[in-house]
Amino acid sequence: MINEYGIIGIFLLGGIAFTLVCLVLSWLLSPHKRSVVKESTYECGLETSGVTWVQFKIQYFLYALVFVAFDVETVFLFPWAVAFNCLGMFAFAEMLVFVVILVLGLWYMWKEGALEWN
Amino acid sequence: MILSWPTIILEISSLGIGLLLLILGLVFTSLKSKATLGYFSIIALLLMLVGSFYLPSGATQTFINNFYVQDSLALFFKQLFIVSALLVNTMALRYMKPHTNNRGDFFALTFFALTGMMMMASAAEFITLYIGLELMTFTFVLLTAYKKHDLKSGEAGLKYILLSAVSSGVLLYGFSLLYGLTGALDFSSLVALFAPTSSPLLVWAIVMVLAGLGFKIALVPFHMWTPDVYEGAPTPITAFLAVGSKAAGFVAFIRVFFQVFAVYSPIFMPLLIALTVLTLLIGNLIALAQTHLKRLLAYSSIAHAGYILLGVIAYSKLGLSAILFYLLLYMFANIGAFAAVAALVINTGQDKISDLAGLWKSSPFTSVVLLVSLLSLAGIPPTAGFIGKFYLFTELVSRGYLWLAFVAVGMSLVAIYYYLVVIRTFLSGSVAEKTSMTIPFSLKLVMLVSVVMTIGIGVFPGPFTDYLLKVAQAFLG
Repeated sequence: MINEYGIIGIFLLGGIAFTLVCLVLSWLLSPHKRSVVKESTYECGLETSGVTWVQFKIQYFLYALVFVAFDVETVFLFPWAVAFNCLGMFAFAEMLVFVVILVLGLWYMWKEGALEWN
Repeated sequence: MILSWPTIILEISSLGIGLLLLILGLVFTSLKSKATLGYFSIIALLLMLVGSFYLPSGATQTFINNFYVQDSLALFFKQLFIVSALLVNTMALRYMKPHTNNRGDFFALTFFALTGMMMMASAAEFITLYIGLELMTFTFVLLTAYKKHDLKSGEAGLKYILLSAVSSGVLLYGFSLLYGLTGALDFSSLVALFAPTSSPLLVWAIVMVLAGLGFKIALVPFHMWTPDVYEGAPTPITAFLAVGSKAAGFVAFIRVFFQVFAVYSPIFMPLLIALTVLTLLIGNLIALAQTHLKRLLAYSSIAHAGYILLGVIAYSKLGLSAILFYLLLYMFANIGAFAAVAALVINTGQDKISDLAGLWKSSPFTSVVLLVSLLSLAGIPPTAGFIGKFYLFTELVSRGYLWLAFVAVGMSLVAIYYYLVVIRTFLSGSVAEKTSMTIPFSLKLVMLVSVVMTIGIGVFPGPFTDYLLKVAQAFLG
């Protein structure tokens, strides 16, 4: 018991030490020359123009929500499909109810105009 | 694996009606037909309530492997939830009309919340309990933020979802520790596995579960969300939160702390007593400073969580039946008070206590309802609140917590003061030329039912206390 936790502890300490060694080494070895380009916000990339507090379209959020719902549905569908032959009628009916409820949600979104991009 | 479907008939019908309402809301395109959804939901709830009395109440039935039980305690709470949903939906008929005109999902959402509460009442396993809790919470977040263009409503919804996410995290941490320690999640296995000795990790798990469930019943120091969410939410939803959500929190609390952690009562009891005293003090003292009626009722609901917890501290059959009785009368008193607030908001758009001045002249009926409800919350006879507090405090004293009873009585006196300030405001009609208020019939009905029940339970408490004692005895065995 203690030994097993000990291994995890050594792993943890080793991980922390490795990170620290890498950081310290690169700090020691790298040349420290300051320049205007290095002090800028993005060393490579464009400066932002205008205010950064822009509003994003709420549709992105809705699409993400629908995506998550159907993603999770797939997660449930795969094991069900693999074990379909030995599960029988009951699991089929159960999955049908599950899919119907999800489709109902999709229909609701569609009718309420959440899928329209304007 | 045997599934006995009749035991979850109430949950299935609640969920089914919710989905049906969602479909109907889409199919009905005209405003006129959308307005019938509310009436449909009320008829469905009435049928469910009547049907629930035909369910077998004595024996404990399980749906699947002791994971989901239907006993008399669960049945009592389900009936309580149905009645509160019924009163809330009736209250919302007219109140929510400006917001439900072109949206058909309000009444469907109340049914989903109801399903979540029912799951919490029956869950005998931590994951089922958690799913019920989240179903209820997410639905309440949507309902709280239902007024789309109202900033306060949106703010309340955001606050509620952020803070309940934190509390869910804490609760799940507790559950996972319990699972890690014992390898079981269902209550009956856990009870069998627990030994009277405890490890620090287990104490930590109990504290986590206490904090997570304490959030739902608005226990100090997990009460911060209550005033803001209660203030921002539409008034019927505030009533539903104060009554339904709290009762659902309590049924989970009762199951977990009376049943699962029973062996460890010497460990969590000091903590529970400390939190209860804190809840009573802070809830009542901060209520003194409130100027808005909904915020006042929010702090009073925090304080009432403290009173109800006294029954958990008593830790006996009588204590449990006192909790159930108190939840019952608290529901009617609170819904009466919130219905009066709704009447005020419909007419004036305000819920400041000072706006109540002259209510006695503009609407005597609303004044009487508010008077009876507040007197019941304060615990003054002949209303039911007096019997409820009396029942709780006597059981507490007989279990040897005399000092705690003194604290509770002292804080009740403080509570009487702030309720009386409200009552004085609306009885003194300083504004003479107030026009009479128009109160919709549905709201009047809700007020009438709550007043009749508040006084009825206060005058004839016998049948209720007898029945609830039987429920408590069946639960604790």
